Amino acid sequence: MSELELALTQIARELDYPETPDLTGAVRRRLAEGRRPRSWRRPLVLLLAALAVAVGAVLAVPQARSAVLDWLGIGAVTIRQVEGLPEVELATGDLGVGERVSLAEARERVRFPVRVPTLPGYEDPNVYYAEPLPTGQVSFVYGSLDKPQLLITQVSALGALEKLVNTATRIERVSTDDASGVWIEGERHFLFYPGAEREEPFRLVGNTLVLERNDGVTVRIEADISKEQALRIAESMR
Amino acid sequence: MGRPLTEAELVERAKRGDQDAYGDLVHAYQGIAFRTAYLLTGNAADAEEAAQSAFVKAFYALGRFRPGAELRPWLLRIVANEARNRRRSAGRRANLALRAAAAVTSGGAAPSPESSLLDAERQSDLLAAVNGLREEERDVVACRYFLELSEAETAEALGLRKGTVKSRLSRALEHLRERMEVADV
Repeated sequence: MSELELALTQIARELDYPETPDLTGAVRRRLAEGRRPRSWRRPLVLLLAALAVAVGAVLAVPQARSAVLDWLGIGAVTIRQVEGLPEVELATGDLGVGERVSLAEARERVRFPVRVPTLPGYEDPNVYYAEPLPTGQVSFVYGSLDKPQLLITQVSALGALEKLVNTATRIERVSTDDASGVWIEGERHFLFYPGAEREEPFRLVGNTLVLERNDGVTVRIEADISKEQALRIAESMR
Repeated sequence: MGRPLTEAELVERAKRGDQDAYGDLVHAYQGIAFRTAYLLTGNAADAEEAAQSAFVKAFYALGRFRPGAELRPWLLRIVANEARNRRRSAGRRANLALRAAAAVTSGGAAPSPESSLLDAERQSDLLAAVNGLREEERDVVACRYFLELSEAETAEALGLRKGTVKSRLSRALEHLRERMEVADV
């Protein structure tokens, strides 16, 4: 260890840390209150049924609405179902996928396994890397950035993205051999990164398949395709 | 009276929903978790909230924790992710400070062996240089030298490859040397 490194470890002992608060008690209370979005593993139909009742009961109380509807977490994505989508300036011509890289470089930059569809016609995507999250994001764009035909995104982070969907949007629970998630179809919905370093524009997306794989990677497939086609693409990813 | 449960046993119980067992794990790691969050956010309130949220998320993510893996770096990765998201959200840099006693100790008193490398002024200069690093370099320095994590743990906590940690550390040390040389002028 160099003198500089030793000096840094010396400083570590002199840092002015605040006293550690009692996290144990606070965490126990939050777990007891069930303040995390509920697991997607609960039957979605039950949630939707509860939602239908809850929406009518709480819409008159704006502060309560997000708390009741903030319930669906799938790996990196938290889906909030709201009555009305915000009036926002939409991203135009910017998918937020970052810089063009080779597949090898994308795999080098992230620590999670990056899989590629093996379905004919989807094996050779344009690969992009971005860091909207500290753990990185790898995107496959089919078609041009201006007119993408299909977008596949892979990230590994809990609760890092949010998706706002209209109550009229159809959400269906789906699964593959090694992943579970939802298919979102119908009314428009938005995707954004809460707390991102720079203000990411809200992005209007098409039909979306969101899957959390068993290895902790969250995969989003966005395109105007059917649920069956999206699932075939997801299942072919190796 | 039975023997205390091992960490692996506590994890297994927590995976089955035992919140008391998970509380024991939180208690064991709350110190390093809070310090990690504080180093990355530079703010006590943000650090507390980040560490709390991370422990809550980790509880629900325990199903993905591989048996036999090390819990500490896995937890710290979730903590670091939460902390950096809060830092981004707050839009401020995390500037660290020395304890008041350390900052004023200089001059006539004979230096202790522990303080012989740098006097108080040079410590302040070095910490200011660390605070001035790019965030990605500062984060690896904080994890590696201030938290004294191994390179592997640093990589796990920050979601980086070990090679990336090595290269960022190397660049960070080079930048610190340059800045300290400038401070000497």
